[in-house]
Amino acid sequence: MGESTRDNVFRKLIESVDLGDEDLAAEWANKALEEGVPPYDAIILGLAEGMKLVGDKYERKEYFLPDMLISADAMYAGLNILTPHIPKDSNKSKGKIILGVVEGDVHDIGKNIVKVMLTASGYEVIDLGRDVPTPEFIEKAKSEGAQVIAMSTLMTPTLMSMQDVEEGLDKEGMKGKVQTIIGGGSVSEEWRERIGSDAYGKDATEAVSKIKTLIDNIIAAAESMKEGSS
Amino acid sequence: MVFSSYDRVMAVLNGKPRYFDRPPCVNTTSVATLDFMEAFDAYWPSAHHDSLKMAKLGSASHRLCSLDNVSVPFCMTVEAEIFGSVIDFHEGSVRWPSINKFQITEPSDLTIPVDVSEAGRVPVVIEAIRKLKEEFDGVVPVNAYMAPPFTSISSYLVDSISFLKWLRRSPETVHEFLRATIDIYVEIANLYAEAGADVITLHEMGASTDIISPTHFDEFVKPYIREITRRVKTPMVLNICGSTMPILESMMDCGATAIAVDERTSIKGAKSLIDSKKPGYPIIGNIPAYDLIHAGPVERIVEAVNGAIEMGVDMVAPGCDFWLETPTENIGAFVDAVVNHGES
Repeated sequence: MGESTRDNVFRKLIESVDLGDEDLAAEWANKALEEGVPPYDAIILGLAEGMKLVGDKYERKEYFLPDMLISADAMYAGLNILTPHIPKDSNKSKGKIILGVVEGDVHDIGKNIVKVMLTASGYEVIDLGRDVPTPEFIEKAKSEGAQVIAMSTLMTPTLMSMQDVEEGLDKEGMKGKVQTIIGGGSVSEEWRERIGSDAYGKDATEAVSKIKTLIDNIIAAAESMKEGSS
Repeated sequence: MVFSSYDRVMAVLNGKPRYFDRPPCVNTTSVATLDFMEAFDAYWPSAHHDSLKMAKLGSASHRLCSLDNVSVPFCMTVEAEIFGSVIDFHEGSVRWPSINKFQITEPSDLTIPVDVSEAGRVPVVIEAIRKLKEEFDGVVPVNAYMAPPFTSISSYLVDSISFLKWLRRSPETVHEFLRATIDIYVEIANLYAEAGADVITLHEMGASTDIISPTHFDEFVKPYIREITRRVKTPMVLNICGSTMPILESMMDCGATAIAVDERTSIKGAKSLIDSKKPGYPIIGNIPAYDLIHAGPVERIVEAVNGAIEMGVDMVAPGCDFWLETPTENIGAFVDAVVNHGES
C-alpha cells in the first residue's frame, strides 16, 4: 500500500466530513478497509481531522451550527463502518472512564470523538450520553470503580454543572481518588483551575493524552504504595 | 421638568430627538427573578398561568428598582404550546418551562387554533397586559415579548437538531413550517397590542450567528419578521442575544422600530454601522445579564453602563433575560447607574 493511497483515503474522508456528505464518507470508509488502511488511522487522520477542519471553520464563522451538524452526520457514517474493525489494543482494559455531556447540554459531537479514541486506545469507556444529571457521574464512578470522570459542555450556562460534579465528589470524599477531566467549546484552563478539575483537554486528541497521563499516575501511585507497604 | 419612563422610552421609539434627560433603562425580555417572585408572592410556575401574578412579577423590577418598563410574559414557549408542544412547567420548582419530547415532526402535525385569543396561555398574557396598562398607562411602557416564528419553531416546537439540519437538507420544509404559522404570530402580536402593549418585542434568540449563517438569516428569518412588522402597527423591538454583527444590517432591515443586542454585539461597532446605513436608528443593549447584572460587582456594572451610554446606546438594557438568581440590589445598581449618568 503506497503512501499516496493512504493519503488519498484521508483526504477523501476529510472532504466528505467537510461537505457533510454521508454517502461519500461511507464510501471512503469502506475503501479504507479494502485498501488496508488501519481503521484507527482512518478515524483519526481522516474523520476526526475533517471534524477539526469543520470546527476551525465554525470558529472563523465560515460555518455555522447546521453545517457542524451535517458534518457530524457524515463523520458518524464513517465511524459506524470503521469502529467495529478496530482491533482491541490489549486483552485487558487499561483503565475505566466515565464519560458524558453535563446536565443541560445535548451537544455530544466532541464527546463521541473522545469515546472512539479512548476505546481504540484500549480503555473501557462507560458512556453516560448527554444531558447527564450530576449525581449520575458520581454514582457511576463509584459503582464502576472508574479512575476518571470526563465531562464536556459546549455552552456557557452549563459550565456550572461541571462545578456541581466537582463539589459532589468533594462531599462524597472522592475528590482526588477519582480524577476529573473537562473539555468542550466553552471550557478553558481558567475554568478548570476555578472549579478544581484535574485536567483540561482543549480538543479530543489532547483529552485522550491527558486521560492517559491521569491513569498512568494513578497506577504509578498505587504501585508505589504497594512497594511502601511491603 | 420631570419625565416619565413612558416619555423616555416612547421618545426613543418615535425617533424624537435623543433622550430628554437620560437614556431609558429597560429589559424588553424576561424581568423575572427569584427575589421578585418572593417579594410579590408570584412564583413560577403559577405566574405563567395566573394573570395577576404575571402582572405583579412583570412589574416588580419597576416597582422595586425603577426599571423604565414592565414586561410580560417570562416564557418562550407560549407560541409553541399553541401549535402542539407539550410544556413541562416543572411544577413544584422554579425552572424555565421546557419541552421534554418534541412531538411535531412535520408541518401536518401542527395544531392551528381557530380562536387565538383563547389558545393556550395567550388569554393569560392578554389579561396581564390589560392589568399593567390599567395601572401604568402613559407612565411606564408595557412591553410584551414573544418568540417569533424561527426561534419558536426551531427551539420549542421541533427538535432543534433536526430543524437546523433542514436549513441545508430540506429548506422547503422549514418554509412550510414558517408559512403555516406566520398568521398566528401576527395575530398574537396584534392581540397583545389591542390589550394595551406599548411595545412588542420579538425575542429571536435562535437566529444569532452563533447558530445560523447570515445567508440563512436572510432566507428563513428576515422575511417572516418583516411580515410581522408590516402587519403589526405597534412599535416593535427585534431582540437578538448572541453574536449579530454580521446580520446587523439585515436586522435593521426587518422593519422593527429598534433592535436590541447583548454583550456579544459591540455597541461601538453597531453604532458605526447604523451611522453609515440608517442614522438615528435606535439600538438597545448590551449590559451582560449573567456576567455583570447577576454577578456584579456594582462598580463593574456602573463601568459597563457608562461605557454603553458613551458609545451612544439609545436604551440601556441587558438584551437578554435577567438571570433568575440576580440579586435585586444589582438590578437597582444597574438602573441607578443609568440615572446617575444622566445627572453627572
